[in-house]
Amino acid sequence: MLKRKPGFYGFASTIIAILLIFPFGDLILQLFEKPNENWMEIKEFLLKDYIGNTLILVFFTAILALIIGTTLAWLISAYDFPLRKFFRWALILPLAIPSYILAYTYAAMASYTGVVQVTLRSLLGTGLDQRYFNIMSMPGAVFVLSLSLMPYIYMILRAFMEGQSASLIECGRMLGKSHLGIFLKVVVPVSRAALVAGTSLVVLEVLSDYGVASYFGIQTFSTAIFRSWFSLGDIDSAIRLAAILMVFVLVLLFLEKILRGRRSYSMTNTKHCPLSRKKLRGPMAILATSYASIILLLGFLIPVGQLTYWAILTYKDTLGVEAWVLSLNTLWVAVISAIIILVFGIIIANYSRLKNNFLSKIYSKISLLGYSIPGAVVAITMILFFIHLDRWLAPLYKIILPGAPGLVLSMSLVLLIGAYVLRFLAVGFQSIDGGFERIGRKYHDASKMLGHGEVSTFFKIDLPMLKPALLSGFTLVCIDVIKELPLALILRPFNFNTLATRVFDYANDERIPEASVPSLLIVLIVAAGILILNKTLDKEKNNEHKN
Amino acid sequence: MKKRKFKFAILATLALAAILSGCADSQQDKSKEVNVYSARHYEVDKQAYIDFENETGIKVNIIEGKAPELLERMKREGADTQADLFITADMGNIYQAIEGGMTQELSSKTIKENIPENLRGENNEWVALTKRARVIVYDKEKVNPNSLSTYAALTDSEWKGELLVRGSDSIYNQSLLASFIADEGEEYAKMWAQGIVNNLARDPKGNDRDQVKAIAAGEGLVTLVNSYYLGQMLNSQDPEEVKAAEKVGIFFPEPTHVNISGVVLSKYSSNKDNAILLAEYLTSVKVQKAYTEENYEYPANKNVEPSELLLSWGELKPQELVLSEIGRNNKKAVEIFARAAWK
Repeated sequence: MLKRKPGFYGFASTIIAILLIFPFGDLILQLFEKPNENWMEIKEFLLKDYIGNTLILVFFTAILALIIGTTLAWLISAYDFPLRKFFRWALILPLAIPSYILAYTYAAMASYTGVVQVTLRSLLGTGLDQRYFNIMSMPGAVFVLSLSLMPYIYMILRAFMEGQSASLIECGRMLGKSHLGIFLKVVVPVSRAALVAGTSLVVLEVLSDYGVASYFGIQTFSTAIFRSWFSLGDIDSAIRLAAILMVFVLVLLFLEKILRGRRSYSMTNTKHCPLSRKKLRGPMAILATSYASIILLLGFLIPVGQLTYWAILTYKDTLGVEAWVLSLNTLWVAVISAIIILVFGIIIANYSRLKNNFLSKIYSKISLLGYSIPGAVVAITMILFFIHLDRWLAPLYKIILPGAPGLVLSMSLVLLIGAYVLRFLAVGFQSIDGGFERIGRKYHDASKMLGHGEVSTFFKIDLPMLKPALLSGFTLVCIDVIKELPLALILRPFNFNTLATRVFDYANDERIPEASVPSLLIVLIVAAGILILNKTLDKEKNNEHKN
Repeated sequence: MKKRKFKFAILATLALAAILSGCADSQQDKSKEVNVYSARHYEVDKQAYIDFENETGIKVNIIEGKAPELLERMKREGADTQADLFITADMGNIYQAIEGGMTQELSSKTIKENIPENLRGENNEWVALTKRARVIVYDKEKVNPNSLSTYAALTDSEWKGELLVRGSDSIYNQSLLASFIADEGEEYAKMWAQGIVNNLARDPKGNDRDQVKAIAAGEGLVTLVNSYYLGQMLNSQDPEEVKAAEKVGIFFPEPTHVNISGVVLSKYSSNKDNAILLAEYLTSVKVQKAYTEENYEYPANKNVEPSELLLSWGELKPQELVLSEIGRNNKKAVEIFARAAWK
């Protein structure tokens, strides 16, 4: 009995892994074809720019997000200052605004007709020269992307600092180190793993960003893939570019592994006590509060304020029955995708927990694949795959319903949901894997030893303990799906729109004010999700302290 | 053990249910629907579909998206596609659809009556719905419209450091350059693109509206914009956009580059009659009026006058060229842009 059961997880994991790898088959096969003329053209004239721009964007966004994220996390977890409790959760909120919406909003605000220039003109009689104040540029893209991605680093680091690193920071304090000294000599080295984890999330997001780069006119790999595929109709070159990007990402993930090190800083005891915060007074307190306020203003309050103003101008045309249909569509697709992802995630993570072998390691890596590939590539991959699948299943359709059309699955939501699963499995898997890691396998083994089967062990022992991880995984996936754009755009079936696609439709028609109502609905839903997530994580942490 | 089988049973049932519901979905009364892949997402279009449904009882199913992506999807779906009509906002993508063998003749007496010959394909494989003019927009305060003449004149040294344009990713710029390739040859097009790049005030960025705003902001003196964007700005909900649009003037170079928004009939259409009915409806006076009155495009129907705003801008003298040439030369245009370092 004992031996056979992991067989189920192995079997199911293998099937899931094949399902995940299969769609990429077409892409990989194309890679071995001889390069065409276009490719020579791209290689000669454009490739250098693509690589250069991508590297600059990734590098500076990562640095800026890292600086903001770490300093905020450090401030919140090590000091006490006015409004700290509020900032503690509010600083995650910038995550609620999809970066493409943040980009549209800031570009419009900074433009000639935007609030910044208009105010300056009415106060000073003259605006800022747009040549020197232009957000639609590389620095602008870095600004927008690092603001909207900074919470990843902030969240991961804050959780780490509040939990594990407390005792080390206390030591530093006791040994009389200065604030800066503790931060640089203790906190940064100790939280290296968390820093690398947060940063690699940011880097992956920047690499797969299409919305911001294309709107600001920055040519990155992602925009280049779109351009060769759609402007030049050249699928081969697009695949070649995607392949280069994929190799780059794999190298990055490998580097991450090295950079995370062997976790040699892990604590000697498992008991974590919360860090006692130092109270800041006078100018230092004001400084801390202002810093956090500025980031929150820039990353959330100002853009949301602008969106609200536009919504007031346009809600009569845009807030009808349709807005609710769009919200419902958005929500239930997110929920279904998240449920499937959790089931897949549990199977693979459990397999790798029970059988820590070569195969299970490969499967874990495969589950990360979709997340590291730009949405547009995943979209086309899925179309190719599902059409093959439909052709293959066609005889079956005819049996079920004579006269059925040839394409069934690829014309249905199955396609879109499948794509979400492929793209965001990593997000759910990471949460669940983390959850399993915390539980370990001793309870599982004890339960099996006491004669419970795999199924009852799972439902009675693992599942209850896994609940917080599942809830946070579920929320994270939902947030990602709701914000996602290219997949929904390319793969939506007939008469199916989501909030994100509606935002895009308006923005693509250059009607930014009209895009505000669906944008705000996205922000509201995601912000609600973030608050739930935050509550869950806090509760989990408190429970840990009680133990 | 039992529960495991149970799980499989659930999964299998779910899979079957998905397939069945997919089948059932597509089994709705076939004779009463038409499927549209559309790259136009304007309110006027949506209203037109609703009116069509109400008048005929034929349900219009829509997938919206960007034209190249919809095209790629149709291509992949091949003979199994459920698309009946493909509607785009430019000639380039229509040409791609025709070249890809994805279309068939859209023959209808009504359409022939509504739409003049030069706005239809040679064999009626495409039909224009609206015309879209790419015009010169200038700073009213600093530029004397008498100093403007043709697209080519913008490459003169007097405009050095004063020109604004959108990126070469824009299909509107690609079509403009493609029309020069067709009219004047590749060398001329290369010189023109290079000349424009040499005169730029800043790197190409933003969309058409952003160019207008940048003129209003004084970043440059002249730019190229599709005229309906100006119409939309003048009628914007945002009072600041209106102010900016009022600061610029519009100039029709002679001849003016005209692109079209059009429709093709899918080769594998399974609701062909309904599709033709809908195409006819879109060319009717009622819808064409809405296109020009509410969306500020030039109507393709010869019996419909452009809206008052459009007429107030002056007379449109379009390029005399076979429109499909724009599509034919699109790829070359993209290459020339890349070599001219037009971002």
